[in-house]
Amino acid sequence: MYAAWTVKHKPRILSEVVGNEEAIQKLINWIKSWDKEIPKKRAAFLYGPPGVGKTVAVEALAYDLKMELVEKNASDYRTEEAVQRFAGLASQYATLFGGKRLILFDELDGITGTADRGGVRAITETIKIARCPVVLIANNAYDPRFSNLRKYCLLVEFKKPTILQVMKSLKKVCVSEGIEADERALRLIAERSGRDVRSAINDLQALAQGRRRLTYEDVAWLGERDRKEVIFNVLRTIFYARECAEAKRAVDAADVDPDMLFQWVYENAPYQLTDAWDLARAMEALARADVYRGRIRATQDWELLRYVLDFMTAGVAMSRQRTKPSGWVPFRFPERVRWLARTKQERQMQGLIGMKIRRRMHVSSVRAVKEILPYIRVIFEDNAEMAAGIAKWLDLDEDMIGYLAGSEGRAKAIVGNLGS
Amino acid sequence: MSFEMWSEKYRPKSLGEMVNQKEIVERLKSFVKARNIPHCIFAGPPGTGKTTGALCLAHDLYGEGYREHLMELNASDERGINVVRETVKTFARTRSIGEIPFKIMILDEADNMTGDAQQALRRTMERFTETCRFILICNYSGKIIEPIQSRCAPFRFTYLSKEDQYAYLQNIIKKENVKMLDEGLNAIFEVSGGDLRRAINTMQAAASAGKPIDAETVYSVVGRANPADVRNMIGLAMKGDFIGAREKLREMILKYGLAGSDIIRQIHIEIFRLNIPEQWKIRLADAIGEIDFRLVQGADEEVQLSALLARLTEASYEMKRGV
Repeated sequence: MYAAWTVKHKPRILSEVVGNEEAIQKLINWIKSWDKEIPKKRAAFLYGPPGVGKTVAVEALAYDLKMELVEKNASDYRTEEAVQRFAGLASQYATLFGGKRLILFDELDGITGTADRGGVRAITETIKIARCPVVLIANNAYDPRFSNLRKYCLLVEFKKPTILQVMKSLKKVCVSEGIEADERALRLIAERSGRDVRSAINDLQALAQGRRRLTYEDVAWLGERDRKEVIFNVLRTIFYARECAEAKRAVDAADVDPDMLFQWVYENAPYQLTDAWDLARAMEALARADVYRGRIRATQDWELLRYVLDFMTAGVAMSRQRTKPSGWVPFRFPERVRWLARTKQERQMQGLIGMKIRRRMHVSSVRAVKEILPYIRVIFEDNAEMAAGIAKWLDLDEDMIGYLAGSEGRAKAIVGNLGS
Repeated sequence: MSFEMWSEKYRPKSLGEMVNQKEIVERLKSFVKARNIPHCIFAGPPGTGKTTGALCLAHDLYGEGYREHLMELNASDERGINVVRETVKTFARTRSIGEIPFKIMILDEADNMTGDAQQALRRTMERFTETCRFILICNYSGKIIEPIQSRCAPFRFTYLSKEDQYAYLQNIIKKENVKMLDEGLNAIFEVSGGDLRRAINTMQAAASAGKPIDAETVYSVVGRANPADVRNMIGLAMKGDFIGAREKLREMILKYGLAGSDIIRQIHIEIFRLNIPEQWKIRLADAIGEIDFRLVQGADEEVQLSALLARLTEASYEMKRGV
């Protein structure tokens, strides 16, 4: 049930393929020309960056034109002999049952080293005598290894789709998965993928599987993933700087969001500063930075940001006094961001109950969750009758009762008491 | 026993029923007498009667139909500049029918409003003073912008004394037929720390077990309401496992939704039960107090409590070295 969405939602027909219309039309014209006579170029060489839909286009084309597709990839042409084993197929125009055949050599970049040289040569020989269309796919057609092969091929370039086109693909997946996604969320995923549809859809699956809604906040941290290197450099400077100025410069040099950087430093401090004294200093520096953040919130005086930055960079850097050097300690992704995602469902349920409490008890839902819900939970565990009364009074539904009761048996007992 | 939340059921309806915050109540009564109120700020810790005071004031001013002249908004649920602009304005500008020419807007948790929203609110307060009076409720008045503070009469609510709590709880104990032992009541006073809502909630949860309430039952309710094992977390920190302790902290805050103020209150209780040199207990209490203060001012719970845990880890090393 957890099939990769890149496979599950792969376009099957050409009209579903997004982008590269020109390249695809060129390919169609060339294949159709086979109906009249064997064209001068017996192979088409599709090239372009990963994830732009080269293979998908060929597969959909074969489907639309009702051709039998014989697909081979890197592992099939390690050596000359391996290629020759199926080269024979290419020398016949019609299939056994009279249908047309299309031969696809995918992932040509996978041929490496001298051992595979024979592979490229064998493919070239196959093309020279081919009696049915052969399609080659690689990221870089101008690799010197392909210089001879190229002469026999029609070159077709596939370009990266636009952001809008990537978003269109993502939207389609969302629709068929029943996910309501914010435009901004999809745009960010599309941008971060570097306009690689496959990786965008993979990211989408990682972020959205099992959800009904996808908001910008859900994907915002993705932004930092690509910038891992930038962040790592800043962290390295902060944790190893010997002078305040050095640590402070790290932030100016890299354009990093201070809030996100704070989370990174906060997460990594205990791993980088193993001495208890150092760690206490570093955590206090971060706590002081947080106090200034609070002051900014209260006063809206953003001038105070400089003190936040002082504490989270220089403050942490100057904490390193006693920690013994212990070689390279890898940096970790902020767990807190992940925690927030992991506990989201639970917090959503609490929020819904909080709204119910709020309606009755003159408190905000946030406060209700923190200050009242815990006691209601105890009552739900101990006294089904009182729980049922409270459930009725607050107008809780069965999901909420189930959550508060904590076990199915107790939930049943409470629901059983609802009628009385 | 009745099956709703007692803290709501026994909320005083009229100023005369409020037994605590005597000076404040007296002043509010004088407003009722004059049939006029200024804009007000009710500041103070949770469970001390701020919302109740505002509701009672409205009740006594307008009589039984007071709900028609009153609007309650909760800034933490509806914060943001648009809510203030639209909801508040629409409510504030229409004139009240009846002998009192203004309506009352209760803005709860006003300290959670953004600065911009507060600025917008300030203009609204000024423009519609004739038709609407505002009661801003907050924990900490320092988070309300100056221009609003200067337009409001400030009221500072404080934690309830043991005697005042006793009076409230006894009434509920009688009406709900709660079997309460003296030690149970004392334990409730200890864990509630003057927060009446917490005291009543704790009592109701303890009563729901259906047995006479002793101290043990009360502590067990507190422990279960806060599934956080604070003792365990402190233990990890003092063993030198700060990372493990922080993980526990995250679980409490993010998974169980515990309030930072609850966690720190328990840390404070636990520290004095620890088997550590006596002079260290008071040193740590100072560290805890500082963090508590920052939380009150609205600092980040996890970051501040983490700093405290790191301090505990450090302290345990220092104790071993006999500093």
